[in-house]
Amino acid sequence: MAEDTTVTSKEWFRDWTDETWAFLLLRLWLATRAIVTGLQKYWGVDEGGQPAFGLKYYKAIPDVMKQKFAAEPMFLSALAGPFYAALGPVLILSGLMLLLGVGTRVSLVVQGLLYVALTYGLILIKQDAGVAWLGIHMGLIALALMLARHNRLAVFRKW
Amino acid sequence: MKSGQNSARVSVVRAQSTRRDFLRAGAATAGLTVLGQLARAQGDTGTPRAATGGAPAVLKGADAMIKVGLVGCGAQGGVLLESCLPIQSPKLQFVALCDIWPYNLRHRVNYLKKFNHDPSAHEDFDEFLSAGLEKGMQAVIIATPDVWHAPYTVKALKAGCHVYCEKMMSNTVEGARQMVRAMKETGKLLQIGHQRRSNPRYRFALNRIMEAGLLGRVVNAGGQWNRSVRGSVDLTWPEKFALPQATLEKYGYANMREFRNWRWFRKYSGGPISDLGAHQIDIFGWFLNARPKTVMASGGRDYFKDREWYDNVMVIYEYEHSDQEITRVFYQVLTTTSAGGGYFEQFMGVDGTLKMSENDAITRVYKEAHADWTEALQKGVLRPIERAETIPTSLSQVSLLDVRASADLDAYELPVVLDKKPHTPHLENFFNAILGREELNCPADEAFRSEAAVFKVNPAIEAKAQLKFEPSDFEV
Repeated sequence: MAEDTTVTSKEWFRDWTDETWAFLLLRLWLATRAIVTGLQKYWGVDEGGQPAFGLKYYKAIPDVMKQKFAAEPMFLSALAGPFYAALGPVLILSGLMLLLGVGTRVSLVVQGLLYVALTYGLILIKQDAGVAWLGIHMGLIALALMLARHNRLAVFRKW
Repeated sequence: MKSGQNSARVSVVRAQSTRRDFLRAGAATAGLTVLGQLARAQGDTGTPRAATGGAPAVLKGADAMIKVGLVGCGAQGGVLLESCLPIQSPKLQFVALCDIWPYNLRHRVNYLKKFNHDPSAHEDFDEFLSAGLEKGMQAVIIATPDVWHAPYTVKALKAGCHVYCEKMMSNTVEGARQMVRAMKETGKLLQIGHQRRSNPRYRFALNRIMEAGLLGRVVNAGGQWNRSVRGSVDLTWPEKFALPQATLEKYGYANMREFRNWRWFRKYSGGPISDLGAHQIDIFGWFLNARPKTVMASGGRDYFKDREWYDNVMVIYEYEHSDQEITRVFYQVLTTTSAGGGYFEQFMGVDGTLKMSENDAITRVYKEAHADWTEALQKGVLRPIERAETIPTSLSQVSLLDVRASADLDAYELPVVLDKKPHTPHLENFFNAILGREELNCPADEAFRSEAAVFKVNPAIEAKAQLKFEPSDFEV
């Protein structure tokens, strides 16, 4: 039987458990991480040498890293272009979905898949610290998915 | 004028300096409230009031604060601003900024607000001065193109402010003289931005190696600043932020390109030899404690043909010591290559060589095989480098065949590090001098005597002859 997700205003917070708070904090953290990281990719330096924001400054990853990836024989070059193009927008979109509570589980899974893809690249160029750092993110995403049923303050709690 | 003590800490061990700074900052913070309350209770800050009758600009002791204005918010203005921000004592408050380009002006104002400064913003220098003085401004930092150094410095000094002005003092010798005269007439402080004069590494090398005679007689010296084409290309600007032509002409600029690339045009500056070379030529005179007697030079627009100044310059000076001995000095500034080891000044004595740079990594002291530096090593003046630096293998092989080839040189490094931004010690010295804690390390009259050597290079290139320095070249 599907869980009754209807909550009246009188019941706000009354059914909030520790797991609810835990999940909401995780949701906020992961959303912030994804949105800010995505937005950062659109910051660059204009002709006058000052920071500027815009589509024309978009850079999925630093050029130095792109060169390192390209030198690895196991790097999937054919997928690189679409991945680089999608990375920033997908981070922002999934972050917003998570923040607003629209398709919470879907956005968590999407972020998890993104981080797995990034981990693949970091393993190739032997960036162990980066791999460990993304591993922490994966742990947080897994934990969030386990706690997702305690979700509250969501626009659309299904998915 | 004597140079004063360097306010920057000589950090023989980085950790010691960090702990001292932490303790000092903590003590200052703890004492701030008490001293501030005491001062207010006593009703006497012991400080002069600003000429306009506003609130005192500077307090003594732990509450010491100086109100500062910045003119020229471009790249170098930004560097100086960033170098000011870490300064804890005295406290600095930026009260006014001035730049004719709103693009730069807005950026710096917004940046300062993030550090709880709230400066007013001005295009016009006179308005900047008035507004700043109303707020009790005591010091002005000038980082405009060279052509504006003299007029702004003279006005600021006469308005009662102390001035820190970037090098070169001016794009003309006469402009530089006007600055020195204004300093003397007003009695205000004028520090020129030869920041190596306050660098503890340079001061250590001057005192413990040069003045101690460790190198023996320094027969030759040399220096260079080699910068690649990529670092020398035209600076651009966002089209939507281009200045109106009327504004450019009002301030003497022909167009946006010349405004952004003023260093390459005769109307505004002396070209790379003054833009880059001035720093290092200053070190020659300072370290040798001598003035040049002659100069010959060659230069050309051999790559950047659409500019007015030379893109490569080579200079030979004869520096004459008080005993009439000569040190022959070679200097080059190249803007089409970064090969040759970056930027440094080298003093080659019969017993050893000092290679100085703001870059730790290429600073070295080399000992000739016959020299005995035991005492210097025991005193910790030098630190041996683990990796032996020898003549390259191919040359070593040649030396087996040619007995005239010299033996390998032992290499050492200085035991001093600078754990601050390069300009910070020099700015600290300036602000401490305002409070009477120190004397300036590069007052304008001393800077003028140094820059006289730079001013003569371009005429020497044009003359295609060796020029002699007259005593009047160094006089104001």
